[in-house]
Amino acid sequence: MSAYLISVLTEGAIFGIMALGLNVIWGWSGDFDLAYYGYIAVGAYMTLVLTIGPAQAPAEYILGQQLPYPVAVVIAVVTTMAVGLVVGLIALRHLRGIYFSIVTLGAVYVMYVIAGQFVPLFDGYNGLSGLFDPMGDVFGLDYQSYQYFFLGLSLVMFVIVYAFMARVSSSRFGMALRTLREDERAAAAFGRDIYRLKLKGYVLGAALGGFAGALFAAYLTAFNPSAWSPVEVIVLYSAVLVGGRGNIRGVVLGVLIMGVLVQESTRFLPDLPGLGQLNTDHPQVLLAMRGAIIGLVLVLFLRFRPRGLLPERRFVDRQPAIDVAPRSA
Amino acid sequence: MSAPAAAPALEVRGLTKHFGGVVAVDACSFEAPLGQVTGLIGPNGAGKSTAIDLISGFKLPDSGTVLFKGRPLEGLAPHVIARLGLIRTFQSPREWPGLTVLENVVMARWDAGRESFFGGLLGLRGEQRARAASELSKAREILGEFGLANLRNELAGNLSGGQKRLVEFARIRMAQPELVILDEPMGGVNPVLGERMALAIEAFIASGTSVIVVEHNLPFIERVTQHVIVMAQGSVIAEGPFETLRSNQDVVDAYLGEQVRQ
Repeated sequence: MSAYLISVLTEGAIFGIMALGLNVIWGWSGDFDLAYYGYIAVGAYMTLVLTIGPAQAPAEYILGQQLPYPVAVVIAVVTTMAVGLVVGLIALRHLRGIYFSIVTLGAVYVMYVIAGQFVPLFDGYNGLSGLFDPMGDVFGLDYQSYQYFFLGLSLVMFVIVYAFMARVSSSRFGMALRTLREDERAAAAFGRDIYRLKLKGYVLGAALGGFAGALFAAYLTAFNPSAWSPVEVIVLYSAVLVGGRGNIRGVVLGVLIMGVLVQESTRFLPDLPGLGQLNTDHPQVLLAMRGAIIGLVLVLFLRFRPRGLLPERRFVDRQPAIDVAPRSA
Repeated sequence: MSAPAAAPALEVRGLTKHFGGVVAVDACSFEAPLGQVTGLIGPNGAGKSTAIDLISGFKLPDSGTVLFKGRPLEGLAPHVIARLGLIRTFQSPREWPGLTVLENVVMARWDAGRESFFGGLLGLRGEQRARAASELSKAREILGEFGLANLRNELAGNLSGGQKRLVEFARIRMAQPELVILDEPMGGVNPVLGERMALAIEAFIASGTSVIVVEHNLPFIERVTQHVIVMAQGSVIAEGPFETLRSNQDVVDAYLGEQVRQ
């Protein structure tokens, strides 16, 4: 397996966990959350400050622990859930639709600016680095075999998250979240505590974002504000939309198409005449093309197939049922 | 005015709500008897819908009390009131359009144990599994009663307006509240379907659900109610059996006038 393929698959697995988390918030609860990438960043930052050890001057950051990677991941996820809870408590209280989205956009920019400007927290724009091959020494792996190990780890984590989400999807809890998406006044009229239920869904989604962020930090070995811009969340939204909002199989398909295919296919664009090598001489052109392709796909799907390639599947009752009253209207 | 025959299912005392300078509900007081169908009528702007919102917790009253089974409701959230056994509908059908008809009916029953996050994850085995199965067959049976069995796997959003009304009634059958407040159930419904709704309301009473129905369709009110409350300008101006209201000059002036003079 080439190093390239390994990296694409590893990224794909992590990206898949991110998209499954976003699907809880947008696909099931129905809230267009723009703060989501912030949870990924919190997960990544927290994992780093808990594993890379004390800061060496002039770098400065909080905690500076050297905990085992799995312990750091757990703490990072819990921290992310706490941040998600705070944002959710504010944004989900009364706001819906575009108003909710605006508040979450505000929240993620607050996170972004604090991470970038408040240097003692995560060393500002320098960011954090130095998480090399976590758990590699435990298993005595060299660099090459570590890449396989981490790919395997990411895939196993993805499969576990997927199985867990499949369970949530068909559970009564998952159905209750959907009643909020479909009509929350009716959900309240039939006994559902909208705010609590939405908060639970939101924190669950944030937890998955934080978990994916923790894996992402180990994959990148570092994290800084240039590694995450709040608009990254659009790529995740496009994956959920293209695959099929609310359908976890669709979400995985969307990740394959948008995350892997679209992101990676631009690598193979032919060089434009007179511009030299696109890959090496003009990386900014490639980045722009990626954005343009994602935007185009988003527009086309919203126009022609808004429910995605694999629309949310509903429970189909195959038991016989008979009308005792005549069918009407 | 005739006094309600049975102990009240709902007691409203001095309910008041202002929106800015407008008094929507003004010291409104009435009782809805247990085990009966109570009509709530009045011209547009009489405050009927606001009164329902205040009773069901969707709006907060400025003052006044609401007693349901003797228990004060004001200040409680809508879901708490629903869990106590008071369910309301809305002027337009509020189905969950992206869920199937069967799912709409099943999800009308709130289930504390299984709807919590962990309860939901564990909910696929043992006693809970049996409960889910019995719920499903109950929902199927109810849909059969309403003639919707063939449509049970259809997305509720694809149904006609009349069918959506029937789904709403089926959801109430499933939830089995002690009191249901129907907000204009006949809106946009043809007469044949209206007769089925009248029968469904009789079935609610038979299964122990008292009914308050807000409606502009007076023949329907006459057909289904035992007791009628007339509201105008935020307050109750008359109440009693429908026949007696016909001869009440206040009611005729406020509301029936147009129809009687025709």
